[in-house]
Amino acid sequence: MASVSIPARTEYLRHGLVSWLATVDHKRIGIMYLASTFVFFLLSGLMALVIRLQLTAPGLQIVNQDLYNQLFTMHGTGMIFLFTIPCLVGFANYFLPLQIGARDVAFPRLNALSLWLLIFAGVVMEGGFLLGILGLLPGGASNAAWTAYVPLSNKQFSPQIGMDIWLLGVVLLGISSTLGAVNFLVTAYTMRAQGMTIWRIPMFVWAMIVTAAMVLIATPVLTAALAMLIADRNFATQFFNTANARLWQHMFWFYSHPAVYIMILPAMGIVSEILPVFARKPLFGLKAVVVSTILIGVLGFTTWVHHMFVSGVDPIVERFFMLTTMIIAVPTGVKMFNWLFTMLGGSLNLKTPLLMCLGFLSTFVIGGLTGVIQALIPLDMQLHNTYWVVAHFHYVLFGGSVFGIFAGFYYWLPKITGRLLDDKLGKLHFALMWVGFNLTFFPMHFLGLMGMPRRIATYTADRGWELGNLIATIGAFMVAVSVLIFMVNFVRSLRHGARAGNDPWEGNTLEWTVTSPPPEHNFDTLPTVESERPARDLRLAASNPTVPAH
Amino acid sequence: MLVPPVSHDARLIDELFRVVYVLSFIVFIIVEGLIIYAVIKFRRRRADEMPEQVHGNTAAEIGWTVVPALAVGVVFGFSVDTLNRMTARGSPTAPLAHVHSLNDTEARRRIEEAKQVDLVIEVVGRQWVWQYTYPDGKLTTNETLVVPAGKTIRLDLTTPDVIHAWWMPAFGPMIYVNPGEVSYVWFNVPPGEYIGQCNVFCGVAHAQMISKVRALPQDEYERWYQEQLAALSGPTATGDPQRGQDIFMNQNICWSCHSIEGTKAQGKVAPRTLTGFANYDTIAEVVPNTADNLRAWLHDPQAIKPGTTMPNLNLSAQDIEDLVAYLQTLK
Ligand code: HEC
Ligand code: HEM
Ligand SMILES: [Cu+2]
Repeated sequence: MASVSIPARTEYLRHGLVSWLATVDHKRIGIMYLASTFVFFLLSGLMALVIRLQLTAPGLQIVNQDLYNQLFTMHGTGMIFLFTIPCLVGFANYFLPLQIGARDVAFPRLNALSLWLLIFAGVVMEGGFLLGILGLLPGGASNAAWTAYVPLSNKQFSPQIGMDIWLLGVVLLGISSTLGAVNFLVTAYTMRAQGMTIWRIPMFVWAMIVTAAMVLIATPVLTAALAMLIADRNFATQFFNTANARLWQHMFWFYSHPAVYIMILPAMGIVSEILPVFARKPLFGLKAVVVSTILIGVLGFTTWVHHMFVSGVDPIVERFFMLTTMIIAVPTGVKMFNWLFTMLGGSLNLKTPLLMCLGFLSTFVIGGLTGVIQALIPLDMQLHNTYWVVAHFHYVLFGGSVFGIFAGFYYWLPKITGRLLDDKLGKLHFALMWVGFNLTFFPMHFLGLMGMPRRIATYTADRGWELGNLIATIGAFMVAVSVLIFMVNFVRSLRHGARAGNDPWEGNTLEWTVTSPPPEHNFDTLPTVESERPARDLRLAASNPTVPAH
Repeated sequence: MLVPPVSHDARLIDELFRVVYVLSFIVFIIVEGLIIYAVIKFRRRRADEMPEQVHGNTAAEIGWTVVPALAVGVVFGFSVDTLNRMTARGSPTAPLAHVHSLNDTEARRRIEEAKQVDLVIEVVGRQWVWQYTYPDGKLTTNETLVVPAGKTIRLDLTTPDVIHAWWMPAFGPMIYVNPGEVSYVWFNVPPGEYIGQCNVFCGVAHAQMISKVRALPQDEYERWYQEQLAALSGPTATGDPQRGQDIFMNQNICWSCHSIEGTKAQGKVAPRTLTGFANYDTIAEVVPNTADNLRAWLHDPQAIKPGTTMPNLNLSAQDIEDLVAYLQTLK
């Protein structure tokens, strides 16, 4: 039964700093995950603005070339490893136990360790970056791109200590996310409420299960590669000597391609949660959505060589990976259509969480299509490493994951803070972000087709790239303004926001049956689940005890 | 493609791109159309409206699994066909023909036999310049490659440092140039000026690693080539070798790094001895050993070979002339 809001029961949120440092409560850890990763998002976003300023017009020298290289290296690393991946883990921390009707995760202390490793790694990496650009580290910060290809990243070509700091940071992050993955898998496997059978598991939880499994398989390979590179740099080992340069690419992409799905699946999970609620309809083809999530997880491991089509791989191998990469489009398309048909025939409540989901659907489809285009070896030979690729992966990571994350914020922050965000400001945020995003990244497709390589600190005026770059920079600043609006909205909501109550959206899942914020132990009595929409069942039963719930 | 394709392979790529572009555009319209339709048609109008609780539709779901799967199959077929018709790539029967280890002589022989070519250029991509050496090794150009138009050209690409990629957008395929390996590019293009640049991030000045190709009609090309050779063999040393020797051994510190048999110069810093230097083909193994290149080298070694340990010794023009004269006596 829905609990009554008693202020004293959320007292745990108001304890002092020490209690936050020492907490093992999944909700407080989740809050710290979300807060710290948002700070990393802002930092990487600022770096993106400097990158965009530099490229606004040909020949600009707002930062020198070396600094530019450090900026895009940390921008990419920060967005991926310090923001998107752990931010989604933050949502999982807070909501996975609530959604499955558990009182906490299976290993609360391990959970705290994951968080503090993340924060420590973030401080090490951002700190190293700051010292580097301030000229306090000889040779500056890491500047070999987030892919850190050898031999560029080895001691000979990147002698600076900043490179080692960066490598160490990524190792720590790998450990943090591996520990988190173990925790989520065990929690979801062993701690589900009575009656939560396999087809009643919420979509976000499903997404986290598959994601966690992927993390467990993929991350150790990256960690091993990083450790080998650290050894090469500092202990004169020869793992990645010239004869083995391609080995790094295999090991790196064996992690980093699945990482794309590690970033997108949980965001897809959020969308699959929100659409049914805001359409007042069940998720269309629930089983197909679950199966396609699992398939994407499995197929995600069979595509990494598509990053190496022009680096020289055996032709048969290449053709194999072209096919497997293309096949991933099928389960992704299944999800797309299931979402669309969840909305069709529904009753759409056009509030900000739903709009953010529409942002996801409308832009992610472009990233998906450009992905298939790039998967074709002949086209990749022309598109590889150009701004087309930059456009493609921002359509997936920003258009997909980041819109999904903001959908999650608008949907779930009221549960966390007890206050609703303002919907008008939310819509303004959405509109500016959607337009700004497309202005920034759509022209990049054309820049790529016109031969503009990625990772160049400047360009000359004779290449015809001016207009696209100018528009992209304008768009980037619109995105920045939209994020500011979000922050204002959030801070205002803490004081002035309307009370959320237990269930502001007519939610389907168990987190909406408890107070906002939830009591420290989550549930007074552990709930029993009778369908995939337990909160709805309870709501209907309460309003009309005679009508069967589903 | 927005860069007009000029080579056989670039045109094939362009064709394939058009096909998948149209297919993608159809999918794009369907998806965006359904989103807009849903938002307009199914907006919530009354707070208490309750739509029909549809859980799915098996036939439709099979449909949107099978149709895309078939489309994927078709596009895959198209792509493999395109690949097989491209000339710049290895095929399944001659695997890795486009990239192989530096000392794989068997692969090299296959390359030589596989395609008749009119001109072979040795290309070195180094941080941060492309250097093109013509067949007899006498002429090396930086950044700009001049070739005869309408002829089949093969580039043999290597790098002494990090990974680079050679790419002319108008020619289509790009190729990585990996340390310890040779990569090959073939092309045959009409007259024109083409521009491209290194396409794998290769360090600080990656953005400056520009490359140009100027394709000239055969006769113009030959004239150009002869002019370049003439310029090279141009005025040889005019300085005073005696004074040059004195600079080398006494006035300056050349002797401390270099060794010349039978003299006081017994330095061990430079990798090869200068004994017999006049017979070397190259200076510092990067540019042909000509008087002009030697002047340029002594004037600023970094400009010829970025990263070299030979320092700029701020020599005067006269010192350089005398040193060149001296060095050319070391037979
Ligand atoms: C600090 C040590 C040092 C000093 C001083 C020095 N050189 Fe060098 N020099 C080198 C090194 C090292 C190389 C080889 C460069 C390379 O291959 O990157 C070299 C290469 C050369 C070469 C080309 C040799 C070859 O193997 O192709 C010539 C010629 C040369 N130096 C002339 C001179 C002259 C003349 C002076 C004095 C004005 C001088 N060097 C002073 C270190 C030095
Ligand atoms: C306003 C928002 C953003 C802007 C304006 C922006 C802009 C850019 C630009 C221009 C580049 C290319 C730099 C270059 O190649 O020289 C880049 C690279 C990159 N961006 Fe973003 N970006 C934004 C948000 C994001 C987000 C949200 C993510 C991930 C979730 C992300 C991930 C990356 C990655 C991984 C790279 C590659 C870095 C590398 O090449 O090493 N970006 N970004
Ligand atoms: Cu390069």
